[in-house]
Amino acid sequence: MKVKALSLIFFLLLAYGLNVSYLARYMGERPAAIKLGYIPSAGALKLISADQRFTIAEWNVLRVLLYFGSLIEKRKNNISIPPEYYNMFKTIQTAVELDPYNMDAYYFAQAAFTWELGHAVDVNGLLDHGMRFRTWDYYLPYFAGFNAAYFLKKPQVAAIYFQRAAELSGNPLFANLAARYLYETDQTRIAIPFLIMMIEKSTDKNEKALYTTRLEALMAAQKIVDGVEQFEKKYDRKPLTLEELVTAHLLSEIPTDPYGGIFYLDDKGKVQTTSKLAPFNAVQKNIPLTNP
Amino acid sequence: MRTTILLVFLTLRAILRDRVLHMLFGASLFILLLVPAFSLFSMRQVQELSITLSLSILSFILLVSAILLGASSIWRDIEGRYTATVLGLPIPRSSFVLGKFLGIAAFLSLCSLVLGIISGAVIFFSASQYPAQQPIVWGNLASAVFFNGCKYILLSAIALLLSAISTSFFLPIFGTIAIFLAGAASQDVMEYLSGDTPLQVSAISKAVIKTLYYLLPNFSAFDLNVYAIYSLPLPLSGLVSIFLYFLTYTTIILCLAAWSFGRRELS
Repeated sequence: MKVKALSLIFFLLLAYGLNVSYLARYMGERPAAIKLGYIPSAGALKLISADQRFTIAEWNVLRVLLYFGSLIEKRKNNISIPPEYYNMFKTIQTAVELDPYNMDAYYFAQAAFTWELGHAVDVNGLLDHGMRFRTWDYYLPYFAGFNAAYFLKKPQVAAIYFQRAAELSGNPLFANLAARYLYETDQTRIAIPFLIMMIEKSTDKNEKALYTTRLEALMAAQKIVDGVEQFEKKYDRKPLTLEELVTAHLLSEIPTDPYGGIFYLDDKGKVQTTSKLAPFNAVQKNIPLTNP
Repeated sequence: MRTTILLVFLTLRAILRDRVLHMLFGASLFILLLVPAFSLFSMRQVQELSITLSLSILSFILLVSAILLGASSIWRDIEGRYTATVLGLPIPRSSFVLGKFLGIAAFLSLCSLVLGIISGAVIFFSASQYPAQQPIVWGNLASAVFFNGCKYILLSAIALLLSAISTSFFLPIFGTIAIFLAGAASQDVMEYLSGDTPLQVSAISKAVIKTLYYLLPNFSAFDLNVYAIYSLPLPLSGLVSIFLYFLTYTTIILCLAAWSFGRRELS
């Protein structure tokens, strides 16, 4: 009897061992359904979540982070899946209604919906909501100020946010930023220090990667802009192509666009790239976030 | 009085021997120990997430314990003829109900204390790895754990009342869950009704909702998680009011339970 039982256990373990490696390989290779999907309204979630609303809020933020992170991972392997930006924003909005103090939600919105999609107005709405609760956090007015100055071209509005950031942080640098943004016409020069700060503060590797790629792209563009300026000084005319900068030894080579595009000079002599600095798809820009 | 104390100890001893609760407690302990690892999923609020998860686990365990213990007490004692043995002795029925309740309340308090201390250690560990902008206010955390305990003691009293009325597990279990959900949502519903953009409902519906709001236990009043998670200043006068609310509501429910059990026909 004992021998029979031991034989059965041995047989089952063997069968399991043979099958599990195949199953693991199959699971690793099968096409993953990366989907964020629908989220119920914040009101409904509030009613059913009882005292678990903070956990549900954080869970939703983490869902968006993991979802977006997996898309970035896929993109590294040259698989471009268009993100469900509407669902992402809706999920973040719901999360901050459940937990208006949730820092992850505000930081992610700043990272994902401004540069990639040009939804600084929606993000600033979210940041305004956060400022009503996170009254000690100077990063939220700093982000809103940057968005107002850089994306929305409203330095006066930015000045109000920076003033608030300066008051909360006790750092006069924020107050000076408004004045600087008023007179700085080169937007790339404004963005580079902001991105460096965001990379330093980021703990999430995907968010860091997102900002790092953007920084590399802007630094590459800045390098070309510097070359164009030097060319104008030297030859008293604008270069017609980027190759002229290389021929004139102002650039050792034409910098590569980390988004996969090719830098060129447009009719007005401005530096442009064929990727439009969009990580997923240029068509995604300005898709509606508030209506599906 | 002595018989009530004896009943408290008997109830507590029976609860502490319950294997289902051992498993539940073991599982919660295991999940609590994983909190520092889970908290790392957050980008910038590791400390806050560790507090959120710890309080969430604590709350869930207390909820399950309160429902299981409160809802399965009196009707099961009647069915198992335990009441016939105990009440054959010169013990008033009210003492029996009180003894049962205090035994359950003692267990829930003990559970809150033990899980609260473990949560504190887990949160301390997480926070030392990734300190937040706002340092932890331990008093807020202790208050959140304490009022979580109060909430589920009150819920166990409601479960006990339904258990004293009922002859099966349906009403105590599902009735307690329904009252818990309604009591947790009543404050939000009231806020929807009287907010900046009030819901368009008829006057009768409004009156019914208002009546339910005052009749049902307001469980969201006991939810101090936001103060603990984000280290917000805790309004002390509010805490006194919540505690008095807990005492009065629980006493009323216990009186009702003792009264209904006293009138019950026991074969």
